[in-house]
Amino acid sequence: MIRESDDVIIKTLARVLMPFIVVYALYVVMHGHHSPGGGFQGGVILAAGFVLLVISHGLEQTRRRMSEKMAGAISSVGVFIYGGIGVLCLILGGNYLDYGKLSKILGVNSADARSLGILGVEIGVALAVMAVMCTIFFAIFTVGETDEDEGSEK
Amino acid sequence: MEVTLLIEATDSAFKILEDARGHAVGILDTTVQLMSEETRCFEEKACQALFTGAQKRKSQFQNAVGTAVILFAFWALLSGKFDLFHLTLGAICSALAGYLFHDLLFVNVRVGDVRTVAWRFIKYIPWLLHQILLANVHVASLALSPKMPINPQVLTFKTKLETDISNVTLANSITLTPGTITMDIRDGVFYVHALSQKVADDLNAGEMEDRVAHIFMEADHLYVQDVLDAARIYGSLRI
Repeated sequence: MIRESDDVIIKTLARVLMPFIVVYALYVVMHGHHSPGGGFQGGVILAAGFVLLVISHGLEQTRRRMSEKMAGAISSVGVFIYGGIGVLCLILGGNYLDYGKLSKILGVNSADARSLGILGVEIGVALAVMAVMCTIFFAIFTVGETDEDEGSEK
Repeated sequence: MEVTLLIEATDSAFKILEDARGHAVGILDTTVQLMSEETRCFEEKACQALFTGAQKRKSQFQNAVGTAVILFAFWALLSGKFDLFHLTLGAICSALAGYLFHDLLFVNVRVGDVRTVAWRFIKYIPWLLHQILLANVHVASLALSPKMPINPQVLTFKTKLETDISNVTLANSITLTPGTITMDIRDGVFYVHALSQKVADDLNAGEMEDRVAHIFMEADHLYVQDVLDAARIYGSLRI
């Protein structure tokens, strides 16, 4: 269990930096076509933001923002977005992940539809990667602790 | 004889009835009084809950909007592309981050103060840069002179700043100016390492502390509780 740091400078700066880390991660995701980055990199930076909150404010306070349950749900949502876009292209009459067919519902030409389709799957990838990284981090750092349920059963 | 007994019995019956009537009136009075007090308490509490709830929601909304604006400026700084598609993406991302993390950036700021504090913070930065420049020149002159007149010492002082964000601003400003480093803040006491006597005297004069207190509107020689009360009324008047 990671305890809260008792240094006010670290706590304040970590909580002030967190929104900027999140916006930087979203910038990396959205500009994958233009500069280095994309879904995986942005997802890892998002998870790094939450890790910063954990090591400065302790595990309990960060669990209120991102619990293990929510991390599981977000990872499923990310995979659903990715697979959903692929199946949507199937439904619209193309191959799996054939983004050109998305121009039928988006109303843009085929090249722009491919660009938007890739952006959509990158967002799904970022959500899934962030959630899985958070789950891995929480799992490693809560190893060996008993829940309160197990304690009261004994 | 039976008549006397009858009259006495009727008398005592009337007395009992009068006592009972007196008791019943007393009970009714108390009931009415209690019910009216309860209604008044309930209404007062409901009004107060509404007011506090409204103030909390308003401050949450202001914090979210302020955070979103700052984050959008950060996005525009990062991404050099200013066409509509990327700006819309930036607006959506900063609005989402502002909504999710609204309680991270402006924690100790009172409702209605966000704009003042932000503007004063922006005005403080050029003064800080000027102080960094002066301190740079001083430390360079110390390092380049042949006898190097340094006098390293650790200063401890108590500040008049109350909130953690102002303490952190002062600590970071002290660390950014060369010649001084904030080592620790423990129980409201700053432990600062200073390089020379001139730098230590500048720090003890307290001008930086006064300026930081001016940014966050703290310790300006008013009773804090009166200011908080006035701010609540001020916040409600601005609705």
